[in-house]
Amino acid sequence: MGNPLRTAQDRRLPRIPEPCALVIFGVTGDLSRKKLIPAVYDLANRGLLPPGFVVLGFARRDWGDGDFESLAYEAAKKGARTPWREDVWTRLASQFQFVPGSFDDDAAFDHLATTLDDLRERNGIAGNAAFYFSIPPAAFPLVLNQLARTGMADNAKSGGWRRVVVEKPFGNDLKTAMALNKLVDEVFTPADVFRIDHYLGKETVQNILALRFANNLFEPVWNSKYVDSVQITMAEDVGIGTRAAFYDASGAARDVLQNHLLQLLALVGMEEPTSFDPNDVRAEKLKVLKAISLPADIAKGSVRGQYLPGWVAGERAVGYLEEANIPPDSTTETYVAVRLGIQNRRWAEVPFFVRVGKRMPRRVTEIAIMFKKAPHLPFDPADVEMLGNNQLVIRVQPDEGVVLKFGSKVPGTTMEVRDIAMDFQYGEAFTESSPEAYERLVLDVLVGDRTLFPDAAEIEQSWRVIDPLEAAWAGTKPEPYRSGEWGPRASDEMLAREGRAWRRA
Amino acid sequence: MIGLWDTTGNEVVKALAAERRSAGGVASGLALTLIAVVEEKKVREAEAAATIAASAHPCRLLIVVRSDLEGRSRLDAEIVVGGRLGPAEAVVMRMYGRLALHAESVVMPLLAPDVPVVTWWHSEPPDIIANDFLGVVADRRITDSKLAPDPVAALRQRAKDYAPGDTDLTWTRITLWRTLVAGAFDTTEERVTGALIVAPLNDPTAALMQGWLKSRLGIDPVWEHTDRSPRMHSVELQCANGDCVRVTRDEGTALFSRTGQEDRYMPLPKRPVGDELAEELRRLDPDQIYGEALGALAGVAGLDSKPAMRVHVWKDPMQAERAGEASGAFAGPGGSAG
Repeated sequence: MGNPLRTAQDRRLPRIPEPCALVIFGVTGDLSRKKLIPAVYDLANRGLLPPGFVVLGFARRDWGDGDFESLAYEAAKKGARTPWREDVWTRLASQFQFVPGSFDDDAAFDHLATTLDDLRERNGIAGNAAFYFSIPPAAFPLVLNQLARTGMADNAKSGGWRRVVVEKPFGNDLKTAMALNKLVDEVFTPADVFRIDHYLGKETVQNILALRFANNLFEPVWNSKYVDSVQITMAEDVGIGTRAAFYDASGAARDVLQNHLLQLLALVGMEEPTSFDPNDVRAEKLKVLKAISLPADIAKGSVRGQYLPGWVAGERAVGYLEEANIPPDSTTETYVAVRLGIQNRRWAEVPFFVRVGKRMPRRVTEIAIMFKKAPHLPFDPADVEMLGNNQLVIRVQPDEGVVLKFGSKVPGTTMEVRDIAMDFQYGEAFTESSPEAYERLVLDVLVGDRTLFPDAAEIEQSWRVIDPLEAAWAGTKPEPYRSGEWGPRASDEMLAREGRAWRRA
Repeated sequence: MIGLWDTTGNEVVKALAAERRSAGGVASGLALTLIAVVEEKKVREAEAAATIAASAHPCRLLIVVRSDLEGRSRLDAEIVVGGRLGPAEAVVMRMYGRLALHAESVVMPLLAPDVPVVTWWHSEPPDIIANDFLGVVADRRITDSKLAPDPVAALRQRAKDYAPGDTDLTWTRITLWRTLVAGAFDTTEERVTGALIVAPLNDPTAALMQGWLKSRLGIDPVWEHTDRSPRMHSVELQCANGDCVRVTRDEGTALFSRTGQEDRYMPLPKRPVGDELAEELRRLDPDQIYGEALGALAGVAGLDSKPAMRVHVWKDPMQAERAGEASGAFAGPGGSAG
């Protein structure tokens, strides 16, 4: 028997998780302060958390209870997207507990286990807990082993569900990713592992599915008969910030190409899922990822870049090699452009140009579907000189929306055709008050909805795309490009060789 | 912003088109047209609410103020595209004299083509929606019974006058309550045997809560009147095994208590009208759950099988006043109109 007060028709009632605990490892870290704690506050403020919701913060530092509370307070207040309400915070904070300890400290984990058991008695939390790994990947095995040792990861033993949330990076290559997946899936059951790719929490990314599968207008032209090429761009105006050690060891391809961009590519290229059931969506995404082909000659079909000093948005920017803690002879890339293909009937011969870069002129993430030119133009060639390819552009961020670019007559007495852009912007809601990606994803974890989380097979398949690239790049030096430019010239040349050009994003 | 005094409907249509053109880039997708029927002193309030709602649901906002029915026919209009009303594009129209009885003649050409129309009365709800053409033209109608002198009686009237697609903001106001109460039964299979609602006499939200529990659970909830609290104070559900779940409001929080568990506090804020309106605009199809709750409240069955389309019934308040009795009704917009 279901809940008689809920019916599918009553769409006003939001999904609310069962009473549960959220255990955050590395609660004092950057991600936790900037994203997780504010997301938890916003969920509470929107009334989306169950009565009987507890946050257990686990971190190494010797914090007093008060210190932790003030850290969480600052973090929530600074990062919250919903209006600040002191009483909501006070209630929520009374359900925060700090458990100090290092990851190799057995006693601390025993303490954590007993704390969770106590909650069952006191708070009516029937053993439900989600463990959020907001920690460096090197610490994963340690913490996982501790969870296994204490039986905290065991659904049956705890009498409720036990879930684990892992953040990228999911390994450093296929081998490490498989080892990590094996370890996590052994300690937890595979269905209880949630891998966060926060791009999938964005409204506009989910809207790709609505745009493609809720409309009849786009699907007929969504194939190699009409599409010339696809460009996926993720540009950031910032440099590497304080992530020097991590970034220099991985580079742009491992940092974002492997996860965010290949996920975008999968959503754009996938076939229609049988239903929106998580397994069906993942099955289709996996098929596309498996069909990805690399350039025959990686040296020709890809470009790596590294930023030099320059000016970005009116401010002087240092070069990558001058950034703090970066070795002066580093060959790590901060820019990648690669020509991928998808080997199936829909996309045969359609190149997918994917580029990511730091210190670009502006921050923008977009997917551009470039259509073929009309097979015949009954105009005087001089009149259609300004007519380019039709384009459908999905702007993921900022200015979330969709642009359709098509030819139109220049007003006047001659028949002259030029491109114009029809620009659709989502309401402010998508940018201002809409749930932050993390808010949505944390809620999905607690509710147990896996649709927006890539599974182990997708992660491993993505590495199968990245690994050969990394192997081919080994020992080569990235092309330099000035900060504030759209990447190295070699990247423009790569497209120019086949008569194409990057869209200025 | 453009202000037009003593103008015509055509001038308003032209001015809106001109403003849209000159505003250039601000044009965004329109999800709906929102007609707000407002009294003069509530225009700013309605604008503020619509601005909040429009940020989630880009819309064209048409505010209609009707007054001074006995005076000379006259139309004043104010056109705002972008700026203080956020992403909404808005026309505020003040109509006087006989023109006020034919507001639709000005409003119809301003409706955005082929998107749903929602009419919202930010004023005392009309007795019979079919008498107001602005309600007949709408796909969704939103009233607010709290603004009536006797809110519970107004809700009963809504049940009598119901057509699928109607909702009332008093229903929106208990969404958070309903969420809390429904959430209590996600983890238990216990059957509910009785309910107790403590609220002031005449509280429309309590009436709807009663109707909702009645329609969903088949029980007869008891409404205990109180004058200690100005709004609904608590909802208590008794289960077959003797357990009891109670939600009690205390300012902006709810105390959630359940037999055998520690008390918990949950946020239960009073939301601004704009948030409530935004919730309404999320769904433009009929709300069956509301229909069932309203039917249970008023003891009317089969509300959702009523026809969704209304036919305009002409009613001239002036005539009624003169004759001192209800006037004859002429069906349809083609009917005779004074």
